[in-house]
Amino acid sequence: MNTHISPSPRLPVSASCLPRRAFLSDVGMGFAGLAVGAMLARNGVVRANEDPAPQNAFLTAGTKPKAKSVIWIFLVGGMSHMESFDPKPELNVHAGKTIAESPYRATLDSPYLKKNLREFVAGLHKVHPKIYPLQTGYKQHGQSGLAISDWWPNVARHADDLAIVRSMWTTDNDHGAQLQFHTGRHAIEGPFPTIGSWVHWGLGSLNDNLPSYCVLGTPLADCCGGAQGHGANYLGPEHAGIQLSSDPAAPLPFAQPDKSVFREEQAREFELLGKLNQLAGVEYPDDPALRARIRSYELAFAMQRAVPEAVDLATETAATQQLYGLGQGGTADFGRQMLIARRLVERGVRFVQVFHGSSGGAGAWDAHSNLQAGHSALCRQVDLPIAGLIEDLKRRGLLDETMVVIGTEFGRTPGAQGANGRDHHPYGFSVALAGGGIQGGIAHGATDELGFHAVESRHYVTDLHATVLHQLGLDHKAMEIPGRKRLELDFGNPIREIIG
Amino acid sequence: MNRLLGVTIALLCLSCCWLSAAEVDFLRDVKPILAQRCFRCHSSLEEEAGLRLDSVAAILKGGENGPAVLAGKSGESKLILAVLRQGDLQMPPEGAPLTAAQIDVLRAWIDAGAKPPAEGAETKVSHWSFTKPIRPAVSQPADPAWSQNPIDAFIAAKHAELKLTPVGEAPPNLLLRRLYIDLIGLPPTEAELADFEKSFAPSPSLPLSPSFQERESGGVGEREKGLEKVVDALLASPHHGERWGRHWMDVWRYSDWDGYGNEIRESKPHIWRWRDWIIESLNGDKPYDRMVQEMLAADELAPGDPDALRATGFLVRNWYKFNRNKWLDDTIEHTGKAFLGVTFNCCRCHDHMYDPLAQHEYYELRAVFEPYDIRTDRVPGEPSTDKDGLVRVYDAKADAQTFLFIRGNEKEPLKEEPLAPAVPKLFTSVPFAVVPVSLPQVSAYPGLQAFMQEEALAAAKREVEKAKTSLGEAEKKWTEVVAAQATSTSPLSPRGRGIGGEGAAAPTIAESGIPQPPAPPSELIDADSQLALSRATLAAAQANLTFAEARIAADKANYAAPPAANARELALAAGTAERQANLQTALKGLVQAEINLTAAERAKKQDDMKTVKAVTDAQTALVAALKARETAVLNLDKPGDYTRLSPIFPATSTGRRLALARWIASPDNPLAARVAINHMWLRHFGTPLVPTVFDFGINGKPPTNQALLDWLACELMENGWRMKPIHKLIVTSKTYRLASSGGVQGSKFKVQGSEASTLNFELGTLNLKTDPENLYYWRANPRRMEAEIVRDATLFVAGSLDVARGGPDLDQASGLTSNRRSVYFRASKEKKMQFLAMFDSPNPVECYRRSESIAPQQALAMANSTLTLAQARLLAKKLSDSLVNVTSEQASSQFVESAFVRILCRKPTADELATCASFLTEQTAKLADPKSLTLFASGPAASVPPSTDPQQRARENLVHVLLNHNDFVTVR
Repeated sequence: MNTHISPSPRLPVSASCLPRRAFLSDVGMGFAGLAVGAMLARNGVVRANEDPAPQNAFLTAGTKPKAKSVIWIFLVGGMSHMESFDPKPELNVHAGKTIAESPYRATLDSPYLKKNLREFVAGLHKVHPKIYPLQTGYKQHGQSGLAISDWWPNVARHADDLAIVRSMWTTDNDHGAQLQFHTGRHAIEGPFPTIGSWVHWGLGSLNDNLPSYCVLGTPLADCCGGAQGHGANYLGPEHAGIQLSSDPAAPLPFAQPDKSVFREEQAREFELLGKLNQLAGVEYPDDPALRARIRSYELAFAMQRAVPEAVDLATETAATQQLYGLGQGGTADFGRQMLIARRLVERGVRFVQVFHGSSGGAGAWDAHSNLQAGHSALCRQVDLPIAGLIEDLKRRGLLDETMVVIGTEFGRTPGAQGANGRDHHPYGFSVALAGGGIQGGIAHGATDELGFHAVESRHYVTDLHATVLHQLGLDHKAMEIPGRKRLELDFGNPIREIIG
Repeated sequence: MNRLLGVTIALLCLSCCWLSAAEVDFLRDVKPILAQRCFRCHSSLEEEAGLRLDSVAAILKGGENGPAVLAGKSGESKLILAVLRQGDLQMPPEGAPLTAAQIDVLRAWIDAGAKPPAEGAETKVSHWSFTKPIRPAVSQPADPAWSQNPIDAFIAAKHAELKLTPVGEAPPNLLLRRLYIDLIGLPPTEAELADFEKSFAPSPSLPLSPSFQERESGGVGEREKGLEKVVDALLASPHHGERWGRHWMDVWRYSDWDGYGNEIRESKPHIWRWRDWIIESLNGDKPYDRMVQEMLAADELAPGDPDALRATGFLVRNWYKFNRNKWLDDTIEHTGKAFLGVTFNCCRCHDHMYDPLAQHEYYELRAVFEPYDIRTDRVPGEPSTDKDGLVRVYDAKADAQTFLFIRGNEKEPLKEEPLAPAVPKLFTSVPFAVVPVSLPQVSAYPGLQAFMQEEALAAAKREVEKAKTSLGEAEKKWTEVVAAQATSTSPLSPRGRGIGGEGAAAPTIAESGIPQPPAPPSELIDADSQLALSRATLAAAQANLTFAEARIAADKANYAAPPAANARELALAAGTAERQANLQTALKGLVQAEINLTAAERAKKQDDMKTVKAVTDAQTALVAALKARETAVLNLDKPGDYTRLSPIFPATSTGRRLALARWIASPDNPLAARVAINHMWLRHFGTPLVPTVFDFGINGKPPTNQALLDWLACELMENGWRMKPIHKLIVTSKTYRLASSGGVQGSKFKVQGSEASTLNFELGTLNLKTDPENLYYWRANPRRMEAEIVRDATLFVAGSLDVARGGPDLDQASGLTSNRRSVYFRASKEKKMQFLAMFDSPNPVECYRRSESIAPQQALAMANSTLTLAQARLLAKKLSDSLVNVTSEQASSQFVESAFVRILCRKPTADELATCASFLTEQTAKLADPKSLTLFASGPAASVPPSTDPQQRARENLVHVLLNHNDFVTVR
């Protein structure tokens, strides 16, 4: 039994929570113990100064990662795929008829109708039979001729950088699908690690002065996943997304002491603390946690400055600010978040999750009525800032290594709900991607003529996760920890057809 | 090292041809390899190429490519060719190939004839944890100091086996702090520390523990006595239950209610009573088996005992608004994981991949829980169960059927075969006998409880008194108004419109025939209306009181055993009283409706739609009130029974859960005690004896010291399942007292910070080589305080901790301002105290073991939260105030010393003292010139302002630094 147990950063600390990444570097106490790795794992820390790349067990062997960072934009409430990225002219042709009266009555017999669905409350969201026409026009854009709706004029300018996946599906027809979009599991099964936390767990940080998984915008409401939407669940809280406010004065929890404290006073406290911990360390040269804690205080002190600096847009030129729509009322809020997102990935943050439209409830994109007014206004809020982000990343040469994802929890019904709305629609919807080695100017997969069921190259939400992980150089199937068996569906498969 | 590895090493040691059939067992050796590498595609989950590898029959049958194995011919078996990656098939397609050792196991099994497990072996697999622990003999270690406590003997045996040299004993101050934080979750005070250091000072010339001979001859050392005294006091402290209650709350998935806004979606309000039950039970040293039984079935075990019923919070916690299946799945999964270390959840969709558990057994277990539901009983003093109540389980539907869900899909129940409750055949020797339980009357009809009757009566009486007072006031007012009016108008008699009520004798204005003045002034109308309403109210209150009395009388007669002779008569009388009360209430409603209409008409303005609508609404309400009166009048002629004071529930319970609880918490059950001991051990030492704390099955990890685990499990069971003696045995062991630093026995530990330490790391390095993870406890594990302890200890050292115990869950948002212990704050999926979340507070979904991370967010919470800043300022003031009769030079070093002792439980070293002293001097100078400094102007407001005296403020800074010191959050 006295075999040598080699130091391994993958050693499970516990099955329910397995911290992998942490913040220790040797602070020069001259102890490079044999078992440091194992003890670090027990204490939930891993040396930061070890180059993760060559030893990282999750990296796909023999490939160079295409992307370094991800900006994951999530439109909360369910954006209509038919009025954004998936044109369905047949809706206009048969508007006013029921689906049964149209030539596409077979849609209603599709096995997906039952098979696809797992309802929270049975019968709450039924098939709406009366076909509702498109509420906006479409044009083809760029050399690729990619069709994008008229509500996205600015993003459309980057058509040749975009890959649109028109055949997404999910299983929840209520807003628990928001959580599901991030965890891959139906909300009924509870919270699971989110895609951002897997990235954090698998890759760690490129910059120790900033949290590696940042969250911008108002997170999901309690109805629909809440903080679990950017949580890490069993991976452990250190892999969860850290919510940053765009206010440089208070960008993260406990970012600043109370306002009676002087900066110099605090700086000297940190200095004294470092000294005292070092002195105590002489007594415990074999305690890696102590060194990790010293480092964590150094980082905390650095983060106090680095995080406000990262969200402070004062140094951005007027032209850049203009690019994101900062000068205009409608686009300023989201533009600020897009610009912060760029600044974060520029500074080495791995995963930036940006929520748009979270309103304390189901979300602004939830267009049960007045779809035209609502969606057109919401598109105006995000279209220019997202286009600005793509443009800016490109100009700075960052788009190749930054993957931009535009997603939403489900699409909306081809049939009308009430006079002028569309209901929740899990059977088929679209997402769009750009950068990070994703091929531009393509539309992949398809829904049927009514935009009802994803019929060609169907992709469950975890295929999107797998695509992200793949582009980051991670072996998505290796993303598993002992004691936490994942289902086949949890892993998904990379969408190879859109990878450049 | 797991069994598989053991086998493969055994195989490697022998030559391959040496293998015999007897050595390779399908279930024990072969199936785990296949499960790990092949089942994902070739099992009941998926049958790629039509092939399943999860049973011998399926392997021999094979798939599209023919049999996977030819018995006796490994060289020709497709399975072997595939894993050798020599043919077309290269398996597994992903990940590393099978190791040579694994392939050898497969070959050996095939060559020996590919024998299936013996008949019935599928359910009788030999696995260490599936057989009852037998108390192992305690060996005599070479070092007599390690023979005093059986725990030490077992640990020493491993040390000897692995040639590990345990380090010396922890210094008294660190040991005391470890004991305090471990047993009560709070650090010791200076006085407690001084006492202990006196009684427990290590004697350099003697071994650190009294020798065997010394103890044998009755000369138990003073040190041991001192230690025992401290341990006894800590175990007797009410804080012990709070500390260990939180541990068990992790294991038992304690969660306050969770939901969206006010909508309750998971768990239930008032479940804090279960938390209090846990704490009280631990403080009272309630036997563990009894605790388990009460949590699963107190409603069947002690149905009349509201204190015990709180325990069923364990099941209440699983309540889930949206899906009963998820609710029951959670119940089954966590009953298995928490009490047995068995992952029943793995066989919801298919047979268990590793353990001998069939899918139908999962649903048979579900049948045990199928009838249960949740209700909130009233508690004395609070009529509304929304505000407070006893939330508990009961069997609501004894006849609810259970079906197996095909592939776990709730849409595909196997309706042809309803399943009866049963326990897995895993260990057949433990009896499982379901006997229906007849419940006491108060369980079926809680309204019979004396407090409910008394409160109902008292409330009815209060209403009568209130109504009488209002009537008096209304009469007085009426008289005054009439007197005032009398000067100008003709006298009026009080109207008293109560139709059919007391006021019926008094004619209304319209009926009186007296010539009416043009229009009575509004004050008079109001006074008149109020008088009518007061009379009607009194009449209703009196009728309700009559009914309340009649109901109690009827209840007493009807629920007596046997029922009283006049039971039927009294029931009918109560029924009549009830209908009379209903009528009076309806009449009162009618008067009120008329008054409302008059008021609405008076307020009506044609151009204000709201006021117009108010009139129509009031008219509608009046019609409804008239209708209610009509109904009540008609009902008077329908004699019948009376409404009971509370809902009526089933009078029997199925007894299924009690049978399960007894099956689990049975001395014959091989798992229950071991799992409990493992959880206790984990929390005392930081690492468990069985690393997979919720999986003791075949896929789990074997214990690092099974003899020790089994001995403790037997000790627990044979000692009446009492946990306090186990705690005491553990914390007084030599193993527990080891230093956490890597030095070895013989090294001199620095105790007071004054002598130089000489640490010998040579042997420590050997230990590290052999057992780098300290799996065999050659030293103690330094640990970070759990989230709750970080907060509680901060408040405690500053003297601010509010030690009030129990009661409703506190708002999680008040964690930085309330000084109560952390265990009492609301915690659920979405409702968590942010400060605690930073320090890995438990995930209420599942946390059988806490993680212990180190992250900069923790540093920010400690450095910047208003909590730590405020407590530092308060503590600095206390420490300064206690400096009396000292010179200013002494003051500084005394302050530093007392701050170290208070916060870190140790004195500063000379270096530390010097560093701190110069910090104080320089910081004071700096703070004396605030103009040169910049404020964090945008932070939150201070809850306790810093001192205006620069010297004191520098001291506050020092205290704040010590709260952030590694030695504060670390338990060594």
